[in-house]
Amino acid sequence: MSLSAYVPIIALFALAAAFALFSVGVSQIVGPKRYNRAKLEAYECGIEPSPQPVGGGRFPIKFYLTAMLFIIFDIEIIFLYPWAVTFDALGLFGFVEMILFITTVFIAYAYVWRRGGLEWD
Amino acid sequence: MSALLVVVLALPAAGAMVAALLPGERAGRVAGTVAAALAFVASLLLWFDRSAGGTGVIRPWHEVDVAWAPALDLRFHLGVDGISYPLVVLTTLLTLLCCAYTVGHVPAGGRGSALVALLLVVEVGMLGTFLALDLVLFFVFFEVVLLPMYAVIAGWGGAGRRAAARKFALYTLFGSVLLLVGVFTVVASAGTADIVALTGGAALPRGTQHAAFALFAVAFAVKSPLWPLHTWLPAAHTQAPTVGSVILAGVLLKMGTYGLIRVAVGVAPEGARWAAPVLGTLAVAAIIVGALVCLAQSEIKRLIAYSSVGHMGFVLLGVATLTATGIQAALIGNVAHGILTGLLFFLAGAVKDRFGTGDLAALGGLRERMPGLSGLLGYAAIGSLGLPGLAGFWGEAFAVIAAVRRGGPLWLTLGVIAAVGGALTAAYFLRLLRRVTHGPASPVVAGAVCGPIARLEVAAWSPLVVLALAVGLVPALVLGMASEPVRAVAEWVAR
Amino acid sequence: MNDLKLPAIDYAALAPMLILFGVACLGVLVEAAVPRARRGLVQVPLGLLGLVAALVFVIAEAGTRKRTAGEAIAIDGPALFLQGAIIVLGVVALLLIAERSLEPGGPFVAQPARPVGSEADRSQAAGEGGATEAYPLVMFALAGMLLFVAANDLLTMFVALEVFSLPLYLLCALARRRRLLSQEAALKYFLLGAYASAFFLFGIALIYGYAGAITFSRIHQAVTAGTGSGVLLFAGLALLAIGLLFKAAAAPFHVWTPDVYQGAPTPITSLMAACTKTAAFGALLRVLYVGFPGATWDFRPIIGVIAILTMLVGAVLAVTQTDMKRLLAYSSIANAGYLLVGVLAMTPEGVSSTLFYLVAYGFTVIAAFAVVTLVRDADGEATHLSRWAGLGRRSPLFAGVFTFLLLAFAGIPLTSGFTSKFAVFGAAFGGGQVWLVVAGVVTSMLLAFPYLRVVVMMWLSEPGESTPSVSVPGAFTSAALVIGVLVTLLLGVLPGPLLDLTTRAGDFVR
Repeated sequence: MSLSAYVPIIALFALAAAFALFSVGVSQIVGPKRYNRAKLEAYECGIEPSPQPVGGGRFPIKFYLTAMLFIIFDIEIIFLYPWAVTFDALGLFGFVEMILFITTVFIAYAYVWRRGGLEWD
Repeated sequence: MSALLVVVLALPAAGAMVAALLPGERAGRVAGTVAAALAFVASLLLWFDRSAGGTGVIRPWHEVDVAWAPALDLRFHLGVDGISYPLVVLTTLLTLLCCAYTVGHVPAGGRGSALVALLLVVEVGMLGTFLALDLVLFFVFFEVVLLPMYAVIAGWGGAGRRAAARKFALYTLFGSVLLLVGVFTVVASAGTADIVALTGGAALPRGTQHAAFALFAVAFAVKSPLWPLHTWLPAAHTQAPTVGSVILAGVLLKMGTYGLIRVAVGVAPEGARWAAPVLGTLAVAAIIVGALVCLAQSEIKRLIAYSSVGHMGFVLLGVATLTATGIQAALIGNVAHGILTGLLFFLAGAVKDRFGTGDLAALGGLRERMPGLSGLLGYAAIGSLGLPGLAGFWGEAFAVIAAVRRGGPLWLTLGVIAAVGGALTAAYFLRLLRRVTHGPASPVVAGAVCGPIARLEVAAWSPLVVLALAVGLVPALVLGMASEPVRAVAEWVAR
Repeated sequence: MNDLKLPAIDYAALAPMLILFGVACLGVLVEAAVPRARRGLVQVPLGLLGLVAALVFVIAEAGTRKRTAGEAIAIDGPALFLQGAIIVLGVVALLLIAERSLEPGGPFVAQPARPVGSEADRSQAAGEGGATEAYPLVMFALAGMLLFVAANDLLTMFVALEVFSLPLYLLCALARRRRLLSQEAALKYFLLGAYASAFFLFGIALIYGYAGAITFSRIHQAVTAGTGSGVLLFAGLALLAIGLLFKAAAAPFHVWTPDVYQGAPTPITSLMAACTKTAAFGALLRVLYVGFPGATWDFRPIIGVIAILTMLVGAVLAVTQTDMKRLLAYSSIANAGYLLVGVLAMTPEGVSSTLFYLVAYGFTVIAAFAVVTLVRDADGEATHLSRWAGLGRRSPLFAGVFTFLLLAFAGIPLTSGFTSKFAVFGAAFGGGQVWLVVAGVVTSMLLAFPYLRVVVMMWLSEPGESTPSVSVPGAFTSAALVIGVLVTLLLGVLPGPLLDLTTRAGDFVR
């Protein structure tokens, strides 16, 4: 096997990089620059941006927690969907495997729930 | 009888454990001494029921050979023969004397029972080194000695003990590393670590022999010590407590020369022939340098320490000739040096304890205050300088004879220079006697409050005094049993 | 579409891992269901039972040599031996982790986010137990390590790597004392570990590009056939090796080690030093011996240089340390170097000696850290070296035990340290790697000095005002300490049985 098989991939890399650089560069050059207060503010999930002390300050850990929990349950769906589509082909084995998978997710869920991970305050 | 070999090793080990663990400090010292005494008796019993079996170059009287770690080819192979037996007895005897001495007299520094325990551990290592017939086992025991001895010097020594102990550890570790590499070289090349099989078996390739002998020789030269690797010795001797000095000079140095005969020459005879001129030259240099340095010493323990360099030079010269006579001379020189230097260190320790100084300039006129002590000092010094009739004579005389008989301009020259060195030995020992025992009593000697020689001291010294005379009058005590194995080794090397 | 071919799965062979994962999940449920005060009482027996059950299955499978789960997992001699070793070392480390009697509140913080000195924090110090989450996390980590050493393809290996790494990152952050140091350590470990994982993954990609497969047998075929681009092979192998050598703490990928060993709670440090090292070297052995033996002549010089560098860095920097845990960390780095010497023998003796070394070192290092947990004052463990001065007078027993352990680290005969070093050097010599042996012997002499310095300091200095006391160990720590010391002595005096075992366990399946 020679490296020639990778030429398309490298080309794709180059294209993607070029596009990103081009977009950023062009918008810097040709884009209008009319800043106002709202535009200069940091975007924080739509809430009022908190005053930023020197060095970035502390950020409530709850946001991270919620985001992480979301990802966990989100991923469950990602696995469930293809399994549902090919349920017939996978048969009993797939069913048991999926039960096991869901069980482990529920163990995590029970833990989070009981230990107050779902409460905002 | 073979089990006795294990008993000889196990007794001091058990004694060390008991001495360290007994709650009573004095009880620990006594228990350790009892163990040392039992070990001494056991080592004497090895003499009986000898049967030189086997057909190889090394024919042990008694042998223990069990697999230890088969996967690594390690064997627990012990044996005793005419070459190792005198050293084994010397070890058990000197350790017994040191332990007994410690029962009545604990040097400042720490618990006396701990000191006894450490001495017994050192004894285990030394005995193991002399008994081991497996290269790896030999290395293991060789290493066991290092740390307890370090602790003895660092824990109970004089004012500069830390530095001295560190120097001792540094040099000896350096030697150990070379020894280990040498062991690896031999084992990897020969496929066995068994000294009996290696000595007299299929010869190793020439290159391997040269490399192995060079590694072994440097490693053992550090321990012996051979000039110019000797600089740890005076510091360690001067700072160590009396019993530590006795063990160091009496037995520890012999591990180097014994290793040279049994391991280096035995395993790599071709390497030995190749390196013999260098070894002989260095040995003679050690004799001369040791003697000259001794002439300039002003401290009694330091002087005795440097005299060891010279004496070991004679021993190494004997080994370097690679003849039966030379190796015999080395063996008896080893034993004689162990007895006489052990005695000298005991006496020097007694002098330092009584007068608080070992400075030759401050001492003087000991004869007037303590005629007995000064008489003994004179006896030991005269024995050490090689007066015929005492133990020191045979080793030095035969080493010179062996060098001269070896023939050729180089060896002839070496023999002659060594003989001159022998005369210098006489000069510095007589200087020592003149300074310490003769003349008017110095203020220090006159003013000190000193008791007579204690019974304990008599007990510790008298065996050495008797042995010095006995070996001197009847060298066959050592040479008789050694002649056959030494001849075998010499023939093996000459082949 | 309908006849899906399922891979055959040998559940008995997988049982140790399944049990540990199950126990870990149960542990999470215990955290959720059992009241706080009684969690520890449930978790410790649960964890120990799980480990014992897993060990029983490992022993029952001792003769198994097969691949299962669609070639994803190899149950062979080294895998079973390493699994057994990880489980046994894990039991001892778990004993240390379970110790709660040394100080009220235990070594773990209940909630890492609690500020130091806050109301809740003080109430924990007053006696409320610390986080029991440590137990399920440890179980997950151990289960991941079992999978790591048995993984027969690179992706399974990567998954296992992540499974055991993530809990370790968390565990590092759980120290109750010196919390910021602990959290800093965890963050460093996490960031650098993430980089290492990325390297590993990139290596997998390149190797897949080279061999068109990720199972070791196919990679081996491709390497011996010699087809394909050498650049891909070497770059891929190099990246894989970086990922593994990072976990093994080999220079120059060792920089995390001192900080993490120092910052992590000491029982966790002992777990990392013993079990993680075992797992990392187990995987390295498998990658090099099963996947890439055909490239031995290419990677040996480079990894050999890394081994020498590791030994040198560990030995030289250990001399300059002033903190006991950092000193042990550098010694752990140096030991990684000696282990690499054994690995690079590339002979069956290389495998068996490395296995032996891992077990011997693991027990010694756990015992050493157990002593570290005992030497403490009002502010927790007194790890600064100067504080250890005169400990021999204050507490001869523990100073004696620690001296023995240090002598074992220094490789003094009649301790396991000597036999294990002898075994790896002997194997490397047999494999023709004289240069590595010489470097190893020289650095082990260098390395003896920091240990001896500590010994001298403990015994020959007078205890000062600030010399801490040695706490009376609880039952768990005593057990861990006794086991560690006994094994260290036993493997030094009678190494035969274990050496036999490692020799018989030295055969990989490909």
